[in-house]
Amino acid sequence: MSVPILEVESLSTEIQLSRSVVHAVGDVSFSIGEGETLGLVGESGCGKSITGLSIMRLLPNGGHITSGAIRLAGRELVKLKEREMRSVRGNEVAMVFQDSMTSLNPTMPIGRQISEQIRRHRSVTKKEALRQAADSLSLVGFPRSDERLGDYPHQFSGGQRQRIMIAIALSCEPKLLIADEPTTALDVTIQAQILGLLDDLKERLGMAVLLVTHDMGVVAGRADRVNVMYAGRIVETAPTVELFRHMHHPYTQALLASIPLLSQDRAERLFSIPGIPPDLTTPPPGCRFAPRCSRATDRCREEEPTLQPTEVDGHLFACWHPVDGPAARIVAPDPGKLATPAPEAPSAPPAGSEGAAAAGSPAPVRPPAARVAAAEPDQGVPLLVIDSAVRAYPVKSGILQRTVATVKAVSDVSFSVERGETFGLVGESGCGKTTLGKLIVGLEKLDAGRVALRGTDISKLSARELRSFRRDLQMMFQDPIASLDPRMRVGAILREPMRVQGVGTAASQRAVITDLLSEVGLPATAIERFPHEFSGGQRQRIGLARALTLNPQVVVADEPVSALDVSIRSQVLNLMKRLQQVHSLTYVVISHDLAVVKYLSDRIGVMYLGKLVEVGSVDDVYRRPVHHYTAGLIATAPEPDPTIEKSKRKVAIKGELPSPINPPSGCRFRTRCPAAQELCAEQEPPMRAFHDGHLAACHFPLQEPMRPADKEAQTASV
Amino acid sequence: MTVSSSVGELADEASIDPGVFLPDAGEVQGPKATWRLAARSFRDNRLAVVGTGILVFFFLFCFVGPLIYHTNQISTNIANAYYPPSAKHLLGTDGNGFDELGRIMVGGQAALEIGLFSSFIATVLGTLVGAVAGLLGGVVDAILMRIVDVLLSVPLLFVILIIGDRFSNATVLSLSLIIGSFSWLVSARLVRGEVLSLRERDFIFASRTMGASRHHLIYKHLIPNALGVVIVNITFQVADAINLLAILGFLGYGLQYPQVSWGDMLSGALNYLPDGYWWVVYPVGICLVLVVMACNFVGDALRDTVDVRLRRR
Amino acid sequence: MTAYLIRRVFISLIVILGISLLTFVMTHWIAPNPGRAVLGLKASPAAVAAWNRAHGYDNPVWAQYWGYLWKLLHGNLGYSYKLNQSVASLIAENAPHSLWLSGSSVVLSILIAIPLGIFQAVKRNSVADQTATAVAFTAYSMPQNFLGILLIGWLAITWHIFPAEASQSEKIIPYILAWRANFLPIATLTITAVAGYSRYQRSAALDSLAQEYIRLARAKGLTERAVLFRHLTRNAILPMVTLIGLSIPVLLGGNLIVEDLFNSHGLGLLFFNSLSNEDFPTVIALTLIAGIATVVGNFVADVALTVADPRIRIS
Repeated sequence: MSVPILEVESLSTEIQLSRSVVHAVGDVSFSIGEGETLGLVGESGCGKSITGLSIMRLLPNGGHITSGAIRLAGRELVKLKEREMRSVRGNEVAMVFQDSMTSLNPTMPIGRQISEQIRRHRSVTKKEALRQAADSLSLVGFPRSDERLGDYPHQFSGGQRQRIMIAIALSCEPKLLIADEPTTALDVTIQAQILGLLDDLKERLGMAVLLVTHDMGVVAGRADRVNVMYAGRIVETAPTVELFRHMHHPYTQALLASIPLLSQDRAERLFSIPGIPPDLTTPPPGCRFAPRCSRATDRCREEEPTLQPTEVDGHLFACWHPVDGPAARIVAPDPGKLATPAPEAPSAPPAGSEGAAAAGSPAPVRPPAARVAAAEPDQGVPLLVIDSAVRAYPVKSGILQRTVATVKAVSDVSFSVERGETFGLVGESGCGKTTLGKLIVGLEKLDAGRVALRGTDISKLSARELRSFRRDLQMMFQDPIASLDPRMRVGAILREPMRVQGVGTAASQRAVITDLLSEVGLPATAIERFPHEFSGGQRQRIGLARALTLNPQVVVADEPVSALDVSIRSQVLNLMKRLQQVHSLTYVVISHDLAVVKYLSDRIGVMYLGKLVEVGSVDDVYRRPVHHYTAGLIATAPEPDPTIEKSKRKVAIKGELPSPINPPSGCRFRTRCPAAQELCAEQEPPMRAFHDGHLAACHFPLQEPMRPADKEAQTASV
Repeated sequence: MTVSSSVGELADEASIDPGVFLPDAGEVQGPKATWRLAARSFRDNRLAVVGTGILVFFFLFCFVGPLIYHTNQISTNIANAYYPPSAKHLLGTDGNGFDELGRIMVGGQAALEIGLFSSFIATVLGTLVGAVAGLLGGVVDAILMRIVDVLLSVPLLFVILIIGDRFSNATVLSLSLIIGSFSWLVSARLVRGEVLSLRERDFIFASRTMGASRHHLIYKHLIPNALGVVIVNITFQVADAINLLAILGFLGYGLQYPQVSWGDMLSGALNYLPDGYWWVVYPVGICLVLVVMACNFVGDALRDTVDVRLRRR
Repeated sequence: MTAYLIRRVFISLIVILGISLLTFVMTHWIAPNPGRAVLGLKASPAAVAAWNRAHGYDNPVWAQYWGYLWKLLHGNLGYSYKLNQSVASLIAENAPHSLWLSGSSVVLSILIAIPLGIFQAVKRNSVADQTATAVAFTAYSMPQNFLGILLIGWLAITWHIFPAEASQSEKIIPYILAWRANFLPIATLTITAVAGYSRYQRSAALDSLAQEYIRLARAKGLTERAVLFRHLTRNAILPMVTLIGLSIPVLLGGNLIVEDLFNSHGLGLLFFNSLSNEDFPTVIALTLIAGIATVVGNFVADVALTVADPRIRIS
């Protein structure tokens, strides 16, 4: 290992709140060498960001370092006077934050925001500082950077602002860069660009990088070594490959096992860690992971393990009952043969006796009235058909606020979903997937085309007819806080759909609510609680339970797990799958996260700027992508596997999303496509078939399209 | 079991050993009920407690006080005018020979009544207008909001003086009506803003996917959620009304004699002070400030409480 | 930006039209029979009817409103029969005094409240902050007339530092120069305004302080001074611009109280005296002027905000 630039020794940080003290970081030690990237991973609230801010000594109000030492190139930072520390910040240590929208001063030109740091630490003239600022901007990839010095942050896109923040951080060539979730707010294609830039600059400037993130995929590709944090402690530290291949801490193992992989077999259940992380105002006395650990013994609950070395240099872990290497993924029974719900393995069954009963015997299915209706033959039509759907929003401008243009959020999209199937919609933010989801459940009105359930066009229905159709079309929302009325108790929230639809008596409604709660793994006492008393994952379970109250046929899930931590995410994903089997649900899953969509879906549609560019079975889309956008998305999605990640160094999709108000002519992806030619600008590519049910719209596809007469040859060439 | 590797084994262990049983979704944490949380954050705010205390005191003082501290507030007696404070008249007497302390109690009754009643009127009006504008949107919203703009542009004091000019015989009721019917503007804007932001919340969308009627959305979601803002606004409204009443009284547009409110009692202040009759000026003024301040304290604390509850987690 | 401003002008004009309608309605409310109000109770009904006819008060209501608007558009604010003078000339005589009182107190209160509010936010929960908050809260909760009475009681009557009456000069220059006489009225207006503004500025500055860009500025190693002056101040002042625009009606109301209390000859006192003398044309015209002043003030605030905030300026 090279000379350490940063050494952190037994750092402990606390945050004083009005009534309590959060023991945010406890006894954390690590070091980073020159040119090295150390990944600091963990779930929200584990203390990873506070560790980064402790090094900068920029803790939030009430935060203070209680003990420990932080040495930067041998110089102790904890004891420095504030004045001396100021000349370290931005000069020797710099930081990049997550949210580039709020991190840049909205009323100051970006040139000054960069040059003020240069002038603070270097004795140069204003003019020279601005010239250096322009240099920094070119370094992070702005052509003609001197022309943009006078622009304000709102004139840049999210990815560009993140580049500006990196330019600020690097303008004084610091020895250490702390990147706190630098790409979390960005789309995957932009994320890959920014991470590539950081890597490139690290090598050019020879800095040390502390990469703070929750994303195991990001550390797998970018970090040389990884520290895993849990509840304020480092539980395991190792070189990246060693950590992913031979972890010893059960938390590391469980965390990695709970992330769906692109290569994941859909039949496998995801591992999930039961429960939620401890409250750091009153941390448990022994090992902090013990309450959620299946290996925990009395010793774990009483005595806290310390980091101990292994035979591999630099690999330490803190556990009394270590594991060895990754967990084998379990294969669940084939859903087709499933008569009873999947056994509750490995996560424990829901609380109480009803919960245990639910796990052992057939689930308490609600009055099957709707189910009977659903079982009627459908005359061969797919359950849900979206046909040339268009949703356009007016863009108003000028003195009279006249409509000067329309943004086609959803532009001529067609696909169908069969009963019991899961259809996944992926795409980056702004591609129209959420609008499409709202169109399906009737929250938005179609401007053209149709959405048909069991052959009936719901956009043509009268308000009264639509009401009864709504029972079969329910939605699960992304934000578990915003989607539950803060003034209603959980009981009232779950009863609401039945009251609105006038279903059941008070007693039968109560029975349904109790069943639902145990099905989603919540204790029956939850009925009396308000939404704010639950954690994010629990609230998402309530949201799912509410969507299921009316026994719907189709549930549209808009980013169902995006707001959740990894370990909670897999709980909800497993639950969604289990409930799909029990209630023979049809899902439309909308997400930007390819691994999540792939794990849940049978078929997938890829959207770009309001257009569906590719649709097909999971295998077709992931193994044999046709559209360059699909291929690029798959290539950029970070996977929690160092071998895969380190092998892909090339940026797959260049540039940024064009304005939806004025989309590119012809193929909308052409501005970012590696294969774009003149034809792409002139003609919009039609949807062509590449395989049974595998369609894509591309002039120069990655595979030959299927000729009607030549199906066999086509299949063979794949 | 030092280096077992399979998650399957882990699962087996978990099912064999129910001693480490955990609910799937984790425990439900947090305090018992929302109102208790709200009450706690309210209690945490010392100023709020002080404010509530002051308000309770003044209600007792003005409405129960006269039952204990008997004074003649009916017939004037010039011979008794301007006695300084003494054991007989704790705060002295005023120019009509009325006991000043008893006068403050009577004047306080009118001030509190008008404050509460007018803010009730303003709140009802404002909530209705704001809710209608926010819910209907479009032309109705535009027209209502322009009306609010117009009324907000003209100084409230000017309008109320002009309207009040025709009520030569002002009573508690007429003053409450005048003040109330011109102070609903701010609450209308608040409620409208709240309704507009609530309309775009996911739980409203969720309710709509269930097929909820407009009626259901309004009564089950919009009103309960907008109520916090309205309640907070009432306390500020009371403070403003009492303040305005004091000014009207001072300018001679208050209650008709022999009725009296605190503002009326200040109207001669500039004549009394040079003569040294401080007891007919300062005590009543201090009462005014205390009551208005108490309302503001409570309002601030309630606002924080509502915010805290919505922001929590 | 131009389109935005033109739209803003358009809306302002609509609001001014609304104000004219309001004052027109108020004219009818306050004096349903203008002839009677002008000629007095002793005039014969025939004379009153003749007067009404001569002045167009027998026309349909919409025609009367149109006539009112027509006159306003030509700068005719009406005629004060009580003072035998055009309202416009009355206003011209009295306006400078009011402008001086209001203007100087607004400028003073901005100069005091903005630094005070930012200081309080930066030193949040310190003794200084809590003291300032307590004082501001008290002043804010005080009816303006009582504040004036307190100041007169202490500074004029007890200690004789300042006179209890504003300058009585009719000419504006001597009026402005008589700073001792005008100290108390300006102080009364300023204290109330500072109480309101500083509370708002404190919370606006607290909001800005919680922003990420403040953290990034500190992460650059800037001195606390630079963080506050370069990054906090400008962003924290922006919301104040709108607030000051919105507070104009309250300031004008305050002017009325203070001019009455200190017997200063300005528009407020004119309004009050006219109301007492049933000189309704003057009362209505002053109300109209106050409304228009508010609309114009809000518009100016919006323009200032547009210039100061690049997010609006460049969009």
